[in-house]
Amino acid sequence: MAIEKATEFEIDHRFDPVGNRHYLNGVCSVLHCHHYATLYTQLALDATDFEGVRHLLETSEDVFHNILDRYFSEREIATIDEKIELAQQYWQAIGMGLVRFTGVGKYEVLAEMEYSHIDEGWLKKWGGSDRPVNYMTAGFVAAVAALLNDKPSRSFTVRETQSLACGDEKSKFKAVVR
Amino acid sequence: MAIDRKKVISEMSKVKVLGNEEGMIPAFGVYVQQLPGEFWNGFARRLVNSVPEDLIEAAEGLLVNAAHECGYHTGYGIITSDEFNTIVGPMIENAPEDVLHGAFAVFTAWGWAQSEVVEHAAGEKMVVRAYDYYESDVMLCGKAERPSAYMIRGVCGAFMDLAYGGEYDSTGKSGIYTFQCEQTKGIEIGDDYGEFVVTRT
Repeated sequence: MAIEKATEFEIDHRFDPVGNRHYLNGVCSVLHCHHYATLYTQLALDATDFEGVRHLLETSEDVFHNILDRYFSEREIATIDEKIELAQQYWQAIGMGLVRFTGVGKYEVLAEMEYSHIDEGWLKKWGGSDRPVNYMTAGFVAAVAALLNDKPSRSFTVRETQSLACGDEKSKFKAVVR
Repeated sequence: MAIDRKKVISEMSKVKVLGNEEGMIPAFGVYVQQLPGEFWNGFARRLVNSVPEDLIEAAEGLLVNAAHECGYHTGYGIITSDEFNTIVGPMIENAPEDVLHGAFAVFTAWGWAQSEVVEHAAGEKMVVRAYDYYESDVMLCGKAERPSAYMIRGVCGAFMDLAYGGEYDSTGKSGIYTFQCEQTKGIEIGDDYGEFVVTRT
């Protein structure tokens, strides 16, 4: 596997012909569609009595914190600029959209999206939403905010302040240190 | 059966799926994403574990329905795709039975489950076995209390809808949910394989 430049996310995709599983950088990964992702999101929203949204957001945060933390450690990625670039490229590569981290500090981290799997899927499926719905990316932003500050999961809380699904020009996320 | 499973799995598993310049993967009439199996398992388990005992079945049903709807629309996109027509199309002698066998070979190739149709009564019943699937990864050792392959259950039902539920309806107002699926065995509960029985609703 060739490394073209330090800030290019390396994707080692393998198919295990015995178990018939796909692995991206050693992580078992599966293809699913926007119906599945948006219905899981709607399910999380409906499960208000059982903290569905928190489960979705924290699952995303935990899973992607682990994946990126391992990626950064194995390749000795140390600078914030490199980590930001790689995180953005990862989200893009797996089809979740185009996220850009526009401000990174100790106390807050800002990100925005011009294109989003969840929002485009939501618009295609239901036409729009009266509230932000991209909890999967919110969890991802929380994970990246923590990693950029060398902190564990649950170090930041994230709010989606603008939403493509709500008709805004961009989705915007604000992560604030706990 | 005319479907050469090995060939279909070998060819379809080579499909490389990566986001375009917008980070999107438009394919088979839907947007696709490639998330870790752990993500889907993680949310499902956290949700099911958070509800009281008497609501577990209802929560599981909602997870199955999400997969059923996904399987209906994406499944239609798959079986009408150029890739399917090129690779599986020439093997189809008896539709829709061969289409179903082909669809489960693709199901396997995409990493959803190493699965095959082991029993099939046209228009009435189908039994699918899965010998390896990511939804069984919920336990590190030992076995779970209940089967948890919600995605496979949903997609199995959806594939029978596509085969015998009438004309595909992109609005989802008809054609879908004409079949239902029960999981009768599961690797996650200690069986050697998962077994899924699909019958008419």
